[in-house]
Amino acid sequence: MEPQATPPAQRRAFLLMFAGGLGGLLAMAAGWPLLRFLAPVAGAGEDQQVTLPRSTVKAGAAHFFQFRGKPAVVLQPKPGEYLALSAVCTHLGCVVQWQEGKGEFLCPCHGGRFAPNGAVLAGPPPRPLENLPVAIVGDQLRIG
Amino acid sequence: MAIVNQLVEFVDRRLGVREIFDKELRGYLLPRKVNAWYTLGAVLLTLFGLQILTGVLLLMYYVPHADQAFASVQRITNEVPYGWLFRMLHAVGANVIVIALLLHMLSVLFMASYKGRREFTWLTGFILFNLAMGLCLTGYLLPWSQLSFWATTVATEAPGAIPVVGDLAVEFLRGGATVGNQTLGRFFALHVVGMPLILLGLIGIHLFCVKRRGISPPPFGADYRAVELPDHFTYEKHPHGIPFFPNYVVKDGAVICFFLALLLGIVFFAPGLFFPESAFEPADPFVTPPGIKPEWYFLWAYQTLKIFPSELIGLGVQGAFMTLLALLPFLDRGPERRPAKRPIFVTVFCLSLLIFLAISIWGHYS
Repeated sequence: MEPQATPPAQRRAFLLMFAGGLGGLLAMAAGWPLLRFLAPVAGAGEDQQVTLPRSTVKAGAAHFFQFRGKPAVVLQPKPGEYLALSAVCTHLGCVVQWQEGKGEFLCPCHGGRFAPNGAVLAGPPPRPLENLPVAIVGDQLRIG
Repeated sequence: MAIVNQLVEFVDRRLGVREIFDKELRGYLLPRKVNAWYTLGAVLLTLFGLQILTGVLLLMYYVPHADQAFASVQRITNEVPYGWLFRMLHAVGANVIVIALLLHMLSVLFMASYKGRREFTWLTGFILFNLAMGLCLTGYLLPWSQLSFWATTVATEAPGAIPVVGDLAVEFLRGGATVGNQTLGRFFALHVVGMPLILLGLIGIHLFCVKRRGISPPPFGADYRAVELPDHFTYEKHPHGIPFFPNYVVKDGAVICFFLALLLGIVFFAPGLFFPESAFEPADPFVTPPGIKPEWYFLWAYQTLKIFPSELIGLGVQGAFMTLLALLPFLDRGPERRPAKRPIFVTVFCLSLLIFLAISIWGHYS
C-alpha cells in the first residue's frame, strides 16, 4: 500500500508554522540582548550609604543631596538632632522645598505640605515622606 | 491563522493592500536569469537598517564630548549588558557595508547595468557610495581613541594640499586648527542626523529609479539581445520573468542570511579584525602613535597621496578617477553589455581592480 501524498495546503500550513516558529525563536534570541541592553542596571547603589560632614547642615536648615539616585534631604530641626528624608513628594514625584521660616516642607507642584519628620500636614500627598536612617559618626553624618 | 486572515481582511477592506501586494510584489516580474549579484541592493538595505538600529541603541549611552566620549564607549563595551554586541555589530557592520557596496558597484560595472538610460540610477548609487564613505569617516572619530583621533587628523589634512583655499578647507572640516572637541561635535551631528537623513532620501530616489525604469537583464547566455531604445520613456518589461514575491524574495533572503552570517562570524570569532591596539587607548593630542593608517577602504586614497611627488597631483588623480566613474554612463553609450564583446572595458575594469588592490596592500605595508 502506497503512502498518501500530503495535500499542498497542509504542506503550506506546516511550512508557514515552521517558518513562523523559527522566526519567533530567532526574534527571541535577538530580543534578549536588546531587552538587557535597555533595562536599567539592577541593584546599582542599593546598599550605598552617603556620608556628609555635620557642618553642612546648620540648625534649622536643610541640605539636599542625591541618595541612591533620588533627591533626599537632611535637616537639623533642633541642635544635635538630625533627620533624613526622601525629598520626593508622594503625590506625583515633584521635589519638595524646605520653608525655613515656617519649618516645613512645601511641594511646589500641588501645594502639598509636610512636617520636618515627613508627616503630611495638608494637600493631596497620600503618604508621608520616606524616612531614611541617619547616624552620627564623629563629625560626620552617615545616611542609609 | 483565522485571526491573521481576519486582520488582513480588515486592513484590505479599508486600504486595498491585497491589490498593492498582487500588483507590486507578485506582479512585479524580474528577468528569469537574475543572479546572486542582483540581491546586493536588498543586502545593503538590511545592513543599513541594522546600522540605524544599533546606532540608536549606542546613542543611549554615548557622550559626544572629548572629555567623556572614550570613557562612554568603554562603558558601553565593558559594563552595559550586551553593549559589546551592539557596538561590534555597528563597527563591523560598517565594514561589511563597504564590502557589499563595492561588490554591488563592481557587479553593476561588469554587467554594464548602468546602460539603457539608467544614468540617474547610477548617479544616485554613486552618491550613496560616497555618502556611506562619509558616514564611515565621521563615525570613525566618535570613539575618541588614539586610532580614531589620528586617523581623522590624517584624513582631514588631505584637503590642505588644495592651493589658496586648502588651509581654510581643513579648518572648516575640523571646526578649528586641529582635531578637537569642536570636530567631534560636528562629526557627531553629521554622523547621527545630517548624513543618515540624506542617505534615506537618496535610497528612496535610487529605488524609485530602479523600479521606474525596470531591471536590466543579466547580459549572459545565447538568448541575450541588446535592446534598441525608442526616443521616449519605456519601462523595461520581462513578460516571462519570475515574480518578485516569492521567487526573488527567497533569493534575497538567502544572500542576506549569508552576509549576516559573515557579520556575526567576525563579531564572534574575529572581533579584533578591524581593531588595532591603538583603538583601545584614549586620544592624546600630544602623542602620535607610530604607523597610524586609515581604514582599509581609504588605504588606496592614502597611498595615492604618498606616491606622487606633490599631494596636489595625488588629489587631482583621485578627483579625476572619481569624476570619470561618476560620469561613466554618459561616456560609455554603446548598447553592447556582454562582457565578452567589450574586451577593452573588461581589460580596464580588471586592471583598475588590480591596481586598487595593489595600492591598498602597498598602503597597508608602507
